[in-house]
Amino acid sequence: MAQTRTGSNLIWNIVSYAVLIVLALLSIGPLLWMLLTSFKVDDDIVTRTMVYFPTRFTLENYIKLWNQSGYPVLVINSLVTTTLTVAICLFTGTIASYAFSRFNFPGRTPLMLGYLVVRMFPAVLMIIPLFIVMRNLGLFDTSLGLAVAYTSFLLPLFVWMLKGFFDAAPKELESAARIDGSTRIGAMFRIVIPIARNGLVATCVFVAIAAWNEYLFALMLTSSTGSRTWPVGLQLMVGEFQLPWGMLAAGGIISILPVIVLFALVQRVMVAGITAGAVKG
Amino acid sequence: MSRGRAMAALPPPRSTWDAINPLRMLGELSETRYWMYLLLLPSALLITAIVLFPTVYGFQLSFTEMRLNRPAGNGAFVGLKHYQRMLADPIFWLSLRNTAVWVTFSIVIEFVVGLVAALALNRNLPGGKILAVLILVPYFLPNVVAGNMWALMLDSRVGVVNDILVNIGLLDSYKAWFADPNTAMATAIFVEAWHSFPFFTLLIMAGLKGIPADLYKAADIDGAGAFAQLRLITLPMLRTIIAAAVILRVIGLVNSPDLLLILTQGGPGRSTQVLSLYAFQNAYSDFNFGYAGALSVVMFVLLMLFAWAYIRLSKVNQD
Amino acid sequence: MATLSIKGVRKSFGAVEVLKNIDIELEDGGFLVLLGPSGCGKSTLLSIIAGLEPSSGGDVIIGERNVNDVHPKDRNIAMVFQSYALYPTMPVRRNIGFGLEMRKVPAAERDAAVQRAAELLQIEHLLDRKPGQLSGGQRQRVAMGRAIVRDPDLFLFDEPLSNLDAKLRVEMRTEIKRLHDRLGTSIVYVTHDQIEAMTLGTKVAVMKGGVIQQIADPQTIYEKPANMFVAGFIGSPTMNFLSGTLERSGGTAVLRHGEAMLALPGLEQDVGAYIGKRVVAGIRPETFHPGEGQGTLTGTVDVVEPTGPDTMVILSIGGQMLTARLGSRDRPKLGDTMTLAVDTAAINLFDPDTGDRI
Repeated sequence: MAQTRTGSNLIWNIVSYAVLIVLALLSIGPLLWMLLTSFKVDDDIVTRTMVYFPTRFTLENYIKLWNQSGYPVLVINSLVTTTLTVAICLFTGTIASYAFSRFNFPGRTPLMLGYLVVRMFPAVLMIIPLFIVMRNLGLFDTSLGLAVAYTSFLLPLFVWMLKGFFDAAPKELESAARIDGSTRIGAMFRIVIPIARNGLVATCVFVAIAAWNEYLFALMLTSSTGSRTWPVGLQLMVGEFQLPWGMLAAGGIISILPVIVLFALVQRVMVAGITAGAVKG
Repeated sequence: MSRGRAMAALPPPRSTWDAINPLRMLGELSETRYWMYLLLLPSALLITAIVLFPTVYGFQLSFTEMRLNRPAGNGAFVGLKHYQRMLADPIFWLSLRNTAVWVTFSIVIEFVVGLVAALALNRNLPGGKILAVLILVPYFLPNVVAGNMWALMLDSRVGVVNDILVNIGLLDSYKAWFADPNTAMATAIFVEAWHSFPFFTLLIMAGLKGIPADLYKAADIDGAGAFAQLRLITLPMLRTIIAAAVILRVIGLVNSPDLLLILTQGGPGRSTQVLSLYAFQNAYSDFNFGYAGALSVVMFVLLMLFAWAYIRLSKVNQD
Repeated sequence: MATLSIKGVRKSFGAVEVLKNIDIELEDGGFLVLLGPSGCGKSTLLSIIAGLEPSSGGDVIIGERNVNDVHPKDRNIAMVFQSYALYPTMPVRRNIGFGLEMRKVPAAERDAAVQRAAELLQIEHLLDRKPGQLSGGQRQRVAMGRAIVRDPDLFLFDEPLSNLDAKLRVEMRTEIKRLHDRLGTSIVYVTHDQIEAMTLGTKVAVMKGGVIQQIADPQTIYEKPANMFVAGFIGSPTMNFLSGTLERSGGTAVLRHGEAMLALPGLEQDVGAYIGKRVVAGIRPETFHPGEGQGTLTGTVDVVEPTGPDTMVILSIGGQMLTARLGSRDRPKLGDTMTLAVDTAAINLFDPDTGDRI
């Protein structure tokens, strides 16, 4: 190893760069490949010899996809479901998270753990009864029903993530507000929540991405007529036709665009909060 | 109407409108002693209805006979019949073993790669933020897209990975990664690790931020090299976070058959059959809800045992 | 035990020059204090001596060895951090012995050394606890234990007492001095507290803006500060600065400020060149005493602060405020006119433009 601290520092920096670049390529590579594939004509995809760069750029995959398989409907369904999920989590989860963060009351710890333990229940175990119940309630194959089902595993996550952000807001602010005459609910809405706004947005985006991407529940709780979401639709294409790679790729790209956009929004909060300088002593 | 005030009473209503103003009543409500429970009520109700109730029902199912394609005798209590059948079921044991392989290797790879990425990113090198964003992307991709993307890249006829490997000389000819029972599991594990390692990176990076830089300076003066510092300072201080990450990830891996459903459906020849998939297939291909319920209960119990054992063994509570 | 020699050390972070040409010589067994306000570069200098930061130029020589390119672990130094930097997951015993462990010292020898260090610092009863279970003062001792157990050539202390409450601080200050007397190892000590500097150091380097303002033994710094910054930084309450014009009357120099005239018979400085020019006189509060004498000043009492053993009186003399430390029996009333005599031999004159001592 190098003689000096700076010397060994330098070596580790080089190693780090190498590792990071390799990982970044590995992470992004498949996405780029999918992007390229979506622009290729079928002859470029299913050929004897590998074609890396499209011989000619085409949008026919996107057009076919949009027109043929009812894709727009799927996307809209997903949009509706995701929005409903986020809304439900937002309204019920924010206040619950606030309560966990701000108040100490008997039963707090077991309740908090309880919110977390429910994530341990296998999805398969829950889908069956949910299937039956939703059917009976008439919520089967509805966006609302699916959204409610999603909250079963997204709500605890929402509450836990948001609690972390609430914890970071100083409690003295509310005390000051209440001395100034505000009620608890007033302090909650007018003081604390605006401060935790960034965290609230990040948590909502996290939940939105998860709801948008979800496959299993959507597979089981929707059918073709009503509220099927895009992941199910996309996967079904694999079975129906003879592996239409081009259209699959196009479908994939379209569907993850919202995710990329949302991710771009929150990544600053996440990455910045995490990479912003090591703690000094 | 005093209902246990938390602090001094608010000023009395000044007019009739004031007296029935819902916002004001909410304000008054928020001062009561039970306010926090009210805050928790909506979400608690929701979770009880959506999670607890179906789970209890699912437990119940494991003791009943419920086959959707054989209506006769449905709902009949059959005691431990399903569990007995399970013990004698060779596919169950195979699934159990596969699940152990699937979970263990995925977690180990995800943890190691995630840790390395986190350590590298923590050095705050110029350009680090961009690299961080790129590296985190796989975790936010849906299983559907990740699975199919790799299926294309690893395809036995048109897969680009095959092409590259052949050109480099590591392979003689295109390989059917998912069709060969010997490689299917390993390939699936690779895709899963690719998908979820950023989860570890995220959590570990948050943890690294909490380690004071002075510790490493003291260690430098004490003569500890990089690996000693990792082993004796970094990892012990990350113990709680690693435990949380591992447990959460194990839960995810055991419980959801999503990725394998998309990639292999348990094949070829059951080489990637895991418990969650088996339960899923029993429920939705064979319509044997009772048996599927029993399998799920076993999964749940295994998870709880694992979490308990891990927390005790890793001495997390000693900190 | 070794000498420390710092020759022409510079440090820049990008375009910002944090240390400018530092030269220091420390004798074997000496106690060097780097004293200054935050941002003056003292901690950076300490890091460079430790090898945790590379310098941008110059040499650091420990003993006879130029250690510029030597890793911290090979410089045979030990450091006590402001935050103590104890390894939280290890018991105290392992914390103290960690340096020895990393150097592959056999367990028996290690344990003996740890035991000796613990006894010296009276922490044997804490050896099996974890840092999280200790109080601030105890952690401080463990940090010192870790430093002394390796018997290094040089101790480095980075503001070790800042995180302690006032009473503990005094206690630990005495501990450190006692340790220095017993072990005789050379020490470099960084602080912003001038009392620590005065009581602990054999040599004090006052720093500001990356430059050493003055380096000398504490007494010299106190009595003959090199410039107004040093004069004002050392001593509590701060030295008074009285500006006026220097004149000659009879055989002595006289400071004139408006109506007030202060004769300076015992002045040791050579002030010939400054006759007729403006100067600043530095007068320490304790050099005042009530009464008559050769050099006197008269003014109006503005504030009276009894402190128990003394009384601080702030006088307004021709518009300038001066603080005098008088005895506890002296209780002038507000608004009184008071005449104080000054020990003129202890006065320092400064050039008002450069701030340097004349």
